[in-house]
Amino acid sequence: MMPLVDVTLRGLLGRRRSILLVLLAGLPVFIALLVRLSGGRPDADRVLDTLVVRTVMPLVALIVGTAAIGSEIDDGTAVYLMIKPIPRWRIASSKIVVAAGLTAVLIVPAVIITGAVLGSRTDTMTTIVGFSVACFVGGSAYAAAFVALSAFTTRALLLGLAYVLIWEGVLSGLLEGTKFLSIRQATLGLAAAFGIDTPGDALSRTVSVVVLVVVLVGAALLTSWKLARFEIRGGD
Amino acid sequence: MTVVPTPPTAPTSGGATSASGPGGSIFDLGYQAYQGPRLGRRSAVQALFTQTIRACFGIGRGGRAKLAPFILAALAVLPAVLAVGFAALAAQAGRATGSTLGDASPIRYETYHGLVGILIMLFCAAQAPELFGRDQRYGVLPLYFSRVLTRSDYALAKVFGLILALLAVDLAPYIILFVGRVFVAADPATGLADEIGAVPRFMLQGVLVAGLLGGLAGLIAAWTPRRAYATATIIAVFIIPPIIVGLIGSLTNQDLARVLVLFSPGDVLDGTNAAIFGSIPDSPIVASVGLAGWAYLAAAIVGLVASIALTVRRYLRIAP
Amino acid sequence: MTEPAQPPATAALEVDHVSRWYGNVVAVNDISFGLGPGVTGLLGPNGAGKSTLLHLMAGLLAPSAGRVLVEGASAWRRPEMYRHVGLVPEREAVHGFLTGLEFARLNARLQGVADPDGAAARAIDTVDLTEAANRPIGTYSKGMRQRAKLAGALVHEPRILLLDEPFNGMDPRQRLHMMTLLRSMAAAGRTILFSSHILEEVERLADSVLVVYAGRLAAAGDFRSIRRLMTDRPHTFTVRSSDDRRLAASLMADASVFGAELVSGHVAIRTAEYDAFTRALPQVARTAGVTLFEVRPTDDSLESVFSYLVRR
Repeated sequence: MMPLVDVTLRGLLGRRRSILLVLLAGLPVFIALLVRLSGGRPDADRVLDTLVVRTVMPLVALIVGTAAIGSEIDDGTAVYLMIKPIPRWRIASSKIVVAAGLTAVLIVPAVIITGAVLGSRTDTMTTIVGFSVACFVGGSAYAAAFVALSAFTTRALLLGLAYVLIWEGVLSGLLEGTKFLSIRQATLGLAAAFGIDTPGDALSRTVSVVVLVVVLVGAALLTSWKLARFEIRGGD
Repeated sequence: MTVVPTPPTAPTSGGATSASGPGGSIFDLGYQAYQGPRLGRRSAVQALFTQTIRACFGIGRGGRAKLAPFILAALAVLPAVLAVGFAALAAQAGRATGSTLGDASPIRYETYHGLVGILIMLFCAAQAPELFGRDQRYGVLPLYFSRVLTRSDYALAKVFGLILALLAVDLAPYIILFVGRVFVAADPATGLADEIGAVPRFMLQGVLVAGLLGGLAGLIAAWTPRRAYATATIIAVFIIPPIIVGLIGSLTNQDLARVLVLFSPGDVLDGTNAAIFGSIPDSPIVASVGLAGWAYLAAAIVGLVASIALTVRRYLRIAP
Repeated sequence: MTEPAQPPATAALEVDHVSRWYGNVVAVNDISFGLGPGVTGLLGPNGAGKSTLLHLMAGLLAPSAGRVLVEGASAWRRPEMYRHVGLVPEREAVHGFLTGLEFARLNARLQGVADPDGAAARAIDTVDLTEAANRPIGTYSKGMRQRAKLAGALVHEPRILLLDEPFNGMDPRQRLHMMTLLRSMAAAGRTILFSSHILEEVERLADSVLVVYAGRLAAAGDFRSIRRLMTDRPHTFTVRSSDDRRLAASLMADASVFGAELVSGHVAIRTAEYDAFTRALPQVARTAGVTLFEVRPTDDSLESVFSYLVRR
């Protein structure tokens, strides 16, 4: 498990990718500072909701999740991990743990700092705690889902983007009944369970938790299933 | 007499026979230089331009390459088709009332940009890396640059190819709406007169959308050969600024937002849409900031020109 | 590496009527063979299906038909088999940011080897990569990359070793070194299969040969025996003697010979019957009073075998 985690992390944290991730994760902090310095209203809830949960968190999870397996399959180095006597579920879970962990390490501190710097309309502590927990679980769910997606297709990045921008951004807002099919809504629902005021009708706490757990477990199962049937690509 | 192909050594001058005598001939099947007419630089640019447009839609490559562009284009056109369909049905039912349902439907010229802007952005994010990144990754730039095609020709042909493809995807739904509404109207002639005013408007908006988004996407893709990074960066540049500007605007004073909004491509295009159609902008920040329409138009044009110029500069300086 | 391997329970590797197609393209077409200890060369031109076959044997591709058995059990979807199988792929790049030693250690740890550091150091030493072992693989030359991959495949001392074009990019000294290594491993009882499109490599290293062409198995076994089996192709011999013309004339009278050609300095004989001719030649020469200086089969090389096989 450890050597897998180690090599995956080292592969993920190449210079270009790290810079991009840090810029993205630092964006909310930067905005919080900017608002604070220009004497604006303290409304960390709004920043955390629109910028982090709806935008930066899925993007970070997408970049990290699709690269955890996807970049190795893409450049061919995945073979060396596959021709080892390791059960496929262990490979899958290592990848997911790394992706989810990296996402959490990037997003949760950003949430905390943003909340602390900007302060909330209501109770800052609630905001920070609520969003931290929600983003920890939600970010992990996103990362896991994208790891699974990249095990199935080489165009995982694009499909993930379409899911976040089109489905979660537009469609599931239109179709009320499909709200539970959205990791974003589940994350917001979890935040709402801590007493945070989110726009629109949030999902109930139970549904939110169930959705996120299903995504996490489902992603692990699907990835293991697909890795067991891993085929090297290309012809002779 | 046997006919023997001679082994190619130096290129011959195109003659096919290397030895002949009274009894027979030996034919030289080796390398023959091309002596015919050569099409010039213009043809080369045109060929690259056409090839770029085809590559945008995945034409000429396998089925999988067509998947993303065609699905996105179909989704972009879908609301227009639906609107025309419903309008036709409603017009049949409600012809007696004399009102056109089209005016009440949420799918109108001025609202269409808000509906499908995201799809155009995804199209850019999907295809621009293919156009600009592949040549760099596979090291074929020297092949292009050692031809009569100049470096700026290459860059411009690629960028304008992308922009034209985007224009097609962007304008198709408007044209469908236009044609549909003309024919759904009680009398096509008056329908045409009613709708014709919209044509130059949506054409202009289409050009701005395709130009600005295509130019920016091309610039980013030219700087980022790896597909995943390019796609992520393009999408980030399109969808993050509007959120930031929105936050700044609602949480702090409007002055900062007023300046920043011109740096957000999504908002700029929303502003131009509102200015061109004289409608209310979709983006709340654009609505509240109260900048004059020409400011957005200027910003769009500046952005368009600057991104194309920077892309050309990139290729002028790139080490192949 | 030269310790004798634990003897396996059943035949090392068995390919049983295996085919693999991609849509309309058949990459491997109904191939069957068995592998045992020793070095086998998989020979074929580019595009013949060598890599596909190796990937099938390594459990990296599912056969579209037939089955691949490694030590009696299916190769597909059975990760435990990798304890005893090592693969050196040709095309797949190695993580460029790892040093040679780190790559070997990674492989050792993933294999669950008892002393990963020691095994890695030994493997690196075996492939003669110790000086460069602490530089990132991204800075290696092609030959060094090959050796790094090989080190990674050797850390767990596999019973079966599959190599895809292993000598690509190696200079002659490195190639000789690796050939010696592989030969010693084979002598210790390991099963080694390597693919190549270069005849000299296969001729020099392999005990037996598998010739593939256009996805089919054209021949299998020791290449001299293969040649012997090709009775529809005449064997040619080069004979130098004290009186070529006389020898040629006398040989034409023999039933086993159907062609004798005088070329400057020797006689080129064509015969369909190898054994009959080799027995007849000395007698004919003695009867004719001709001394033989040199008798050499001219097409008993892998090259001519191969060119006959692929020209059918």
